[in-house]
Amino acid sequence: MASVVLSEAEKLYIVHGVQEDLRVDGRGCEDYRCAEVETDVVSNTSGSARVKLGDTDVLVGIKAEMGTPKLEKPDEGYLEFFVDCSSNATPELEGRGGEELGTDIANTLYRVFSCENSVDLKSLCINPREHCWVLYVDVLLLECGGNIFDAISIAVKAALFNTRIPKVRVLEDEEGTKEIELSDDPYDCIRLNVEEVPCIVTLSKIGYRHVVDATLQEEACSLASLLISVTSKGALTSMKKVGKGSLDPESIFEMMETGQRVGKSLHIALQKILDEEESLGTSRPKVGFLG
Amino acid sequence: MLTSRTFVKRTRAGAVVKVVREHYLREDIACGAAACRLCPPATGTANAPGLEARPSGASSSLCPGPHFLLPDTNLLLHQIDVLEDPVIKNVIVLQTVLQEVRNRSAPVYKRIRDMIQNPEKHFYSFTNEHHRETYIEQKRGETSNDRNDRAIRVAVNWYNEHLKKIEDEEKIQVIFLTNDRTNKEKALEEGITAYTCEEYIKSLTANPELVDRLACVSDEGKEIESGKIIFPEHIPLSKLQQGIKSGIYLQGTYRASRENYLEATVWVHGDAEENREIIVQGLKHLNRAVHEDIVAVELLAKNEWVAPSSVVLQDDGQNEDDIENEEEKENILKTAVNKDMLRPTGKVVGIIKRNWRPYCGMLSKSQIKEARRHLFTPADRRIPRIRIETRQAETLEGQRIIVAIDGWPRNSRYPNGHFVKNLGSAGDKETETEVLLLEHDVPHQAFSQAVLSFLPKMPWSITEEDMKHREDLRHLNVCSVDPPGCTDIDDALHCREIENGNIEVGVHIADVSHFIRPGNALDEESVKRGTTVYLCEKRIDMVPELLSSNLCSLRSNVDRLAFSCIWEMNHKAEILKTRFTKSIINSKASLTYAEAQMRIDSATMNDDITTSLRGLNKLAKILKKKRIENGALTLSSPEVRFHMDSETHDPIDLQTKELKETNSMVEEFMLLANISVAQKIYDEFPEFALLRKHPAPPPSNYDILVKAAKSKNLEIKTDSAKALAESLDKAESPTFPYLNTLLRILTTRCMMQAVYFCSGMDNDFHHYGLASPIYTHFTSPIRRYADIIVHRLLAVAIGADSTYPELTDKHKLADMCKNLNYRHKMAQYAQRASVAFHTQLFFKTKGVVNEDAYILFVRKNAIVVLIPKYGLEGTVFFEEKDKPTPKLDYNNEVPSLTVEDTTLHVFDKVKVNITLDDSNIQHQKMRMVLVEPKILGKDVSANPSTEASSENEPEKKKKKLQK
Repeated sequence: MASVVLSEAEKLYIVHGVQEDLRVDGRGCEDYRCAEVETDVVSNTSGSARVKLGDTDVLVGIKAEMGTPKLEKPDEGYLEFFVDCSSNATPELEGRGGEELGTDIANTLYRVFSCENSVDLKSLCINPREHCWVLYVDVLLLECGGNIFDAISIAVKAALFNTRIPKVRVLEDEEGTKEIELSDDPYDCIRLNVEEVPCIVTLSKIGYRHVVDATLQEEACSLASLLISVTSKGALTSMKKVGKGSLDPESIFEMMETGQRVGKSLHIALQKILDEEESLGTSRPKVGFLG
Repeated sequence: MLTSRTFVKRTRAGAVVKVVREHYLREDIACGAAACRLCPPATGTANAPGLEARPSGASSSLCPGPHFLLPDTNLLLHQIDVLEDPVIKNVIVLQTVLQEVRNRSAPVYKRIRDMIQNPEKHFYSFTNEHHRETYIEQKRGETSNDRNDRAIRVAVNWYNEHLKKIEDEEKIQVIFLTNDRTNKEKALEEGITAYTCEEYIKSLTANPELVDRLACVSDEGKEIESGKIIFPEHIPLSKLQQGIKSGIYLQGTYRASRENYLEATVWVHGDAEENREIIVQGLKHLNRAVHEDIVAVELLAKNEWVAPSSVVLQDDGQNEDDIENEEEKENILKTAVNKDMLRPTGKVVGIIKRNWRPYCGMLSKSQIKEARRHLFTPADRRIPRIRIETRQAETLEGQRIIVAIDGWPRNSRYPNGHFVKNLGSAGDKETETEVLLLEHDVPHQAFSQAVLSFLPKMPWSITEEDMKHREDLRHLNVCSVDPPGCTDIDDALHCREIENGNIEVGVHIADVSHFIRPGNALDEESVKRGTTVYLCEKRIDMVPELLSSNLCSLRSNVDRLAFSCIWEMNHKAEILKTRFTKSIINSKASLTYAEAQMRIDSATMNDDITTSLRGLNKLAKILKKKRIENGALTLSSPEVRFHMDSETHDPIDLQTKELKETNSMVEEFMLLANISVAQKIYDEFPEFALLRKHPAPPPSNYDILVKAAKSKNLEIKTDSAKALAESLDKAESPTFPYLNTLLRILTTRCMMQAVYFCSGMDNDFHHYGLASPIYTHFTSPIRRYADIIVHRLLAVAIGADSTYPELTDKHKLADMCKNLNYRHKMAQYAQRASVAFHTQLFFKTKGVVNEDAYILFVRKNAIVVLIPKYGLEGTVFFEEKDKPTPKLDYNNEVPSLTVEDTTLHVFDKVKVNITLDDSNIQHQKMRMVLVEPKILGKDVSANPSTEASSENEPEKKKKKLQK
């Protein structure tokens, strides 16, 4: 993971600030940095989003492809995650350096989405045992400015919201041979319900307190952090501890509570922004770097 | 401005992909109107003329002012024939329309492109999809068809607005032509002047003849309104495909019978061993299928199976809706037959692909005066008659015309069509030649500039470069032997004794592949043509004349490039060494067969060429003997040659071709060269060699021959080619010397077609007729494309030329073989048709004659006879319209036909009366009537008719002249 080198004095300054609920950039412990969200940025994907959280910059593209359902779940589609950490994000990811981090993030995403009702996978089934939609979620980490997990999860949710899957019809003849037919109206498509899609909230333990949305500098001061995924209703779907240090059970509960609270407001803010963007329709000018 | 177009499509592998294309919109696209000063002048389209400043076209009573036309897609697809008329000018073709046409019909697309290129027509293609003001995006809930219709209307509106800005006293209007009712209504709502094609064309009062060229595409709803339904409905394509997959229906090519319009066979595609050929009988079962269509058939239950009928039936009913009559005729077919003759029988349930093309033929004018609907009778008997609407029946009568089919509604006995083109008066030599070339799909247009540009520049000479891979054989005494008047000499020979006492024999073939390089326009044109077509007084070249008659032709006393095959043989004609090389030769003499024969026979001539010819002749005789011992067949088919009048080019005499010893001499060496080359290219390219095979016919093919021979107490063995050849040699009758020739003619009819194939795609290489395990065509590259490919393969094999990717692609090669086989077959048919036509011309001048003839085949109600004197074959019918049918008794076993009390067998010698029957203007034909043996009962009617016809004919002719 990306890190910065700080002197002891600098660390002390940050830790003492956090203690006083006053962070270097002026935020409180439970405040997120300003986030930019833009959807439908890559036209040849089924859905895409770009999220900029502070210096952290993430691009997510989702491609819907037809595949065969998994044996154990014959009437469901599934999601596949792939995370590419660009070496532009931070020099440490140069060469194959990003691979480990990428797999790590992808695995976290699989865990986060392993909850049954996060995405309605049954709606992705075309005909049981034979055809289903597979959503390939490709994450591209463009710049690393701390708290990449949260940024990625926001971007994934936004991209899922933006995803449009073409509608197909299964025609069946007398002997049971199935023919798949595409509609020729590009507006005729399925949208996903993202209400239950969780977001990750990372809580970093700094000194005796914990902060959300830590910057790179703050991450350097934190020995352990807790990743929790929260749905818009505040339900916790998964939890993971990262970092070398250990956490006191007492503070874990505290952190979980904070996470749920912050996560709920995060979902509300995100949904509001997405709906607003949606209402602008196709005439919306593209803003981001691809605009 | 940049925008993007997004659409979803399914790939062949079944995946669904979202495709995003960048789409640029511009403002500088010209409207194409010459009077417009607002638009930038069109660049890069110097040859595209654009729309006229003052649209000249035909004046319309609907819109008297100047106007441009803007048709929609369906209109272009269906009414292209009308639009091609020179009267129709100033038409805007939108890009949207052009693209839709391109997706739906490649031939129509090409015709439109040609019109746009034609400066006379003033067609302009407007790229509305890239114009900023005419580009529209698909709306929610709008199908792509609706979107395109809207795009067209938007473009019309834009044009009208745009043209208003032109400062001119007379405003030009754009008229939208569509046959789609809803689209027209919408256009009218938007204030666009819209007409259907019919409305517009009918308003062109100065050109009433155009109405004939309108295709009559009836609306779906209109079909049921009148008349009773004759045909069962066609099953839709999607259901057919399911049915074919599950095996309920069979897919195949529909082939109508030439002799019986109520019968057809369907050749089932695929590898199925059984049910390969399905018989379809009766009007309802044929269900509107037209010759060459791809159809789906359903097999009938076994108890409904029928045998192919031997009745000859021609569709000549004038009354269109006379269905009862048809049923009566159908009953004729269903006479009792024995069980073994039954073949799989089916009915057509749907059409998978129509293979309609424009048909040549003549109009049979309706008997009702002033009628506009007439029947058109195609020259090809397998095509049903077509109903067309025309006002110019008077002028079209007696002319050869082209008609296209538009559709075949369920309540109509005949398909509907429209008039396309007038070729000229029937019986005219030019017209008839054009007809037979068109009917046999022979490409016969002049070579295009693009093709000619690949010809070598004149004066041409052999350069150093050419010499590099070539052997200089100019010192050899090479000569060529060909029929008289031959200008495309592709083979030459030499023969000499060498030091070791052996004989060196060389076959030198014109090196056409040196001039025709793979892939260029010249190559593409020749592969399309496939073969040179020889008609009686005309030759349709495969390669431009400069090559065929000059640079490639191995004429005497000039240096020519050749591909040589040189053998070293001993005196027993055994090959010791074979060598192939590209060479330069200088032929010392171009001889005719007769001249060569004369040289060999005259004892006084002893020059080098003559001794060379004698050597060749001697070896050829040994080679021939060996070949016959191996079981090669000597077959015979009567070939005729016309003596043409040098002034009028009318045939004045006709004789059967005579074969000389030298014919066989040249043939022997050509066969030998072909076999040697076939072996060489197959050794070198086991997967990609282009070879020629002649499959052994299935034993059942010989039934008729064996039966016929049996009736003359002769036995023909058909177990192997050798047995057949031997038994044919023995089949002699001292009292009937012509019998052997007749048997050989009959044997020829039992044979299969020889075909080209790619060695990697097949494993049976045997050439049955020549009794050779491997064979190809190498010796006539000037007139056959297959030989060019073989030359290229051989050149690569000996390292004299480089290869190219297509040469070693067996699928491409197999496709090419398919085309070549088709072209050869069609060329052969065209040739026969040409001979038939000239025979008719000959008998026209000759009048009525009585000739000896032999019966070749016996049918249920007719006999087929051969007149050896003219090599002419004809059918004698015993049933005639409006005359009592004599009692006919057909015996399939012998086979024989008993007419009243006279029994006719195969090979019986008869005398027939030949006249040219032109009472039927549709098909002039040779009419034959049996004179000897006289048939009782028939006697009364036959004899007067012979006399009557001899007097009646000229009268009829006179009548026609008066018209």
